[in-house]
Amino acid sequence: MTDCGCEKARRDLEEYLRNEVCKTEHSDIAEHLEHCAGCRDEALVARTLTEVVARACKESAPEELRDQVLTKLRAVQAAH
Amino acid sequence: MFATLERLDHEAPLLAGADEQVPGGLRSAAVDWRVMSDSTDQAAQTEQKQDPRAQFEEQALPFMDQLYAAAMRMTRNPADAADLVQETFVKGFASWKTFTQGTNLKAWLYRILTNTYINTYRKKQREPYQGTIDDLEDWQLGGAESTTATSSRSAEAEAIDHMPASVVKDALQSIPEDFRLAVYLADVEGFAYQEIADIMKTPIGTVMSRLHRGRRMLRELLAEYAKERGITPAATRSTK
Repeated sequence: MTDCGCEKARRDLEEYLRNEVCKTEHSDIAEHLEHCAGCRDEALVARTLTEVVARACKESAPEELRDQVLTKLRAVQAAH
Repeated sequence: MFATLERLDHEAPLLAGADEQVPGGLRSAAVDWRVMSDSTDQAAQTEQKQDPRAQFEEQALPFMDQLYAAAMRMTRNPADAADLVQETFVKGFASWKTFTQGTNLKAWLYRILTNTYINTYRKKQREPYQGTIDDLEDWQLGGAESTTATSSRSAEAEAIDHMPASVVKDALQSIPEDFRLAVYLADVEGFAYQEIADIMKTPIGTVMSRLHRGRRMLRELLAEYAKERGITPAATRSTK
């Protein structure tokens, strides 16, 4: 493992956090984050943003939608 | 020969992993299949001959809340969102025989949802410049790389964390649609880049670019909101 430095860590941070393939070895980014408080904070912001968006977008479908869909599917099946 | 055996060995856990993604009672059914001995094979066959509609309802309907949430972010209103979800299920059922059991049903349904939205609803809603948004330079889209000084990043994270849901949704709503969709599919649904590429029918590079830029814009909008409300201490803001 070698510390990849700030530039590469920032460029590939999103991919690293999402476990996606990127140009920098994940272990090198991990190593860098261990040593660099600035990039660690950047990672914290990125992770927080994901959490907050996920939290904000939670919705429950209206009760009647389920019934409407079931009725529709039965009608479609009957028509064939 | 060895190679074949080895690969088959590896497939079992992979398939089991895929089953994990299927919600609720289905998983037990899938596990039963594997464990089943000859004596219970009959039950398995009955299951296989299950009415397609019952099977579709059992597997696809548990995704209703998630699809509705996505539809809400796409159409921006409950009536259209409900219609879009209903249409998605009807289309899904119509092509149910093309779905391969054991593959990612959620991604399959999202593909139908996204297609339906783009082909019908988006036309109604008329969002200008859609076709060219990917070609715009970052400076044209606004949103600076660095909105706060490095020292205040953790303060920024805290401010974002305390953002009301309505503000986050408004911010998401105000970024260009293709960016919004990429952010939604990655951050809310946790789809991998390849899955998003399949759903949006774009190359992975485009997905990455939309996601990065969308998130940067979102971050900028939330920082702006925090600044207006005085959530971020003024002293830690950079002057740009």
